Amino acid sequence: MYRYDEFDHAVVRERVEEFADQVARRASGALTEDEFKPLRLMNGVYLQLHAYMLRVAIPYGTFNSRQMRRLAHIARTYDKGYGHFTTRTNIQYNWPALTDLPAILSDLAEVEMHAIQTSGNCIRNVTTDVFAGAAEDEIEDPRPWCEIIRQWSTIHPEFSFLPRKFKIAVIGAEKDRAAIRTHDVGLQIVKGDDGGTAFRVFVGGGQGRLPHIGQEIASAVPAADLLAYLTAILRAWNLLGRRDNIHKARIKILVASLGIDAFREEVDRHYATLRREDLRIPEDEAERIKAYFAPPPFEDLPKVSAPFDRALLADPDFARFARNNVRRHRQAGYASVVVSLKPVGGVPGDITADQMEAVADLAERYSFDELRAAYEQNLVLPHVRLDDVPAVWRALRQAGLATANADLATDVIACPGLDYCSLANARSIPVAQALSKRLADLDYQEKLGPVRINMSGCINACGHHHVGHIGVLGVDRKGEEYYQITVGGSPDEQAALGDIVGKSLPSEEVAPAIQRTLDRYLQIRAEGERFIDTVRRVGPEPFRDAIYETLDAANA
Amino acid sequence: MKIVTANRLSDGRVIYAGVDNQPVDRIDQASVLDDPAAEIVLAEVAGRPEVFVNPYLVEVQDRTPSGRDRLKERIRSAGPTVGHSVDLDVNGGLA
Repeated sequence: MYRYDEFDHAVVRERVEEFADQVARRASGALTEDEFKPLRLMNGVYLQLHAYMLRVAIPYGTFNSRQMRRLAHIARTYDKGYGHFTTRTNIQYNWPALTDLPAILSDLAEVEMHAIQTSGNCIRNVTTDVFAGAAEDEIEDPRPWCEIIRQWSTIHPEFSFLPRKFKIAVIGAEKDRAAIRTHDVGLQIVKGDDGGTAFRVFVGGGQGRLPHIGQEIASAVPAADLLAYLTAILRAWNLLGRRDNIHKARIKILVASLGIDAFREEVDRHYATLRREDLRIPEDEAERIKAYFAPPPFEDLPKVSAPFDRALLADPDFARFARNNVRRHRQAGYASVVVSLKPVGGVPGDITADQMEAVADLAERYSFDELRAAYEQNLVLPHVRLDDVPAVWRALRQAGLATANADLATDVIACPGLDYCSLANARSIPVAQALSKRLADLDYQEKLGPVRINMSGCINACGHHHVGHIGVLGVDRKGEEYYQITVGGSPDEQAALGDIVGKSLPSEEVAPAIQRTLDRYLQIRAEGERFIDTVRRVGPEPFRDAIYETLDAANA
Repeated sequence: MKIVTANRLSDGRVIYAGVDNQPVDRIDQASVLDDPAAEIVLAEVAGRPEVFVNPYLVEVQDRTPSGRDRLKERIRSAGPTVGHSVDLDVNGGLA
């Protein structure tokens, strides 16, 4: 993985010193909250309901055991012993004191981490396929390009005061495991006409109050010109974006209002006139960055593993874990292991300091010291020998981290909601927990197969409810929590927004209604159809009927 | 009736204006005020930004938040209703 050079170290160190000074001036009263707010937001610090919140970047979700142990140390020393992984593959601490922030950031800098650009109107943490470098369908590891974008976008003078935040995701396979079409810019690595690396570019995706699926603006931008093309997109938006209205400031609104063709013309105009030579990525520099992401020294192993196969036969719990949480790897004899942060009745994405250390130990011992954070709020050990998977599973089980539900119904994505967030209208976590308990039976979940359920506590959609196969949005109705349900959303290469099925439900009705939806699917699915396939075939109507049937009966 | 609330500058924790407009942690220690008195206290604590961050008024009945934002204010006063800050073992950790 990438290691800081002297420039990275200097940038982060200088920022820690600068922010420490700003915190000291705030604590002394020399800076008002209004003066301090834009400064803290540039450093990932929010003021939430109960405390300050610090959001730490995990660039493109890749980190190592030393960094994970440091995250555990911070959780234990400065917080309440846990952290929360987000849908932007960052980690949030919910309880740091203002006056501890300089020490925390200093601790992070020692392990090449920071909180720069995890909030504010700038280019946020770039995300990617959680199986990058491990997936067998990948044409190229996207992470070197994520790192190049990270370096280019960090404290970029032209793009530090954008109309709103800006999110970029990059994938290296046809299969979209990073939800690129829900991003301001989504990049898909393709082969260009000359056989070299190029990028298919989507623009104007986004969720929130006015959701849009990204549209294709370019089919094959040559890799060397990636930063020039991104500059042209951002420049067009920076000049034309609606700074007068926060709800209309995102690039999705500009793209939708101009139309993709007119927006493309704007971008092409800038692309033609900017100093492209200055922005061209030199080949040797790209190669230098790629070298950091070279595959680890895999052993030459047979495709099958006797210890793995024996464990499958010996222990049905392990067999279930292997079915649901173990993914095929491009290298024979290896697998990627999904560490679910969705135990039955737990808080999606939460992890204790002890658990962080347990996962760090496993990464160091069994996965070439590599860890990944998934936007689905799980972790991944990307490169585990099949021979070692049983031992990894036993250790995960010991740590309370072996829930065999990856991509199943209880692998719920949920924002912190009104339990923590000052923007929320309703709670997300208790509703996710109620659903998790109701659907806990893993035999039932396996019968259902893959289904993604997403919950957001407000229209800002941090829980990605628009693109959940089943989405749940918390709304406030005269001071009471209600939940609006959508069906048929999808975050992947067939990206789609869900359809709202009808009037919102009180919180205690949500889990039973979702179970009825899933039961209806079991009744009507065709052979081999996943939940989302059935919704696409039959539309939302049968599910609407299922959701409201008891309510209609009660009202009849 | 109203109470005055804010976040404390040093650690962001929820505070209320209590006796003599001193910051107190618990909602049951907050001074319950009629509208004119509440406005006066709000102005007073707004002049002490070294303690009170973003102060505002909360409608209460029997010291319990009762206005449109009553759920949010109840969660602010009592802490998160779920999760690790309530029960550190909820995610099956080693603790």
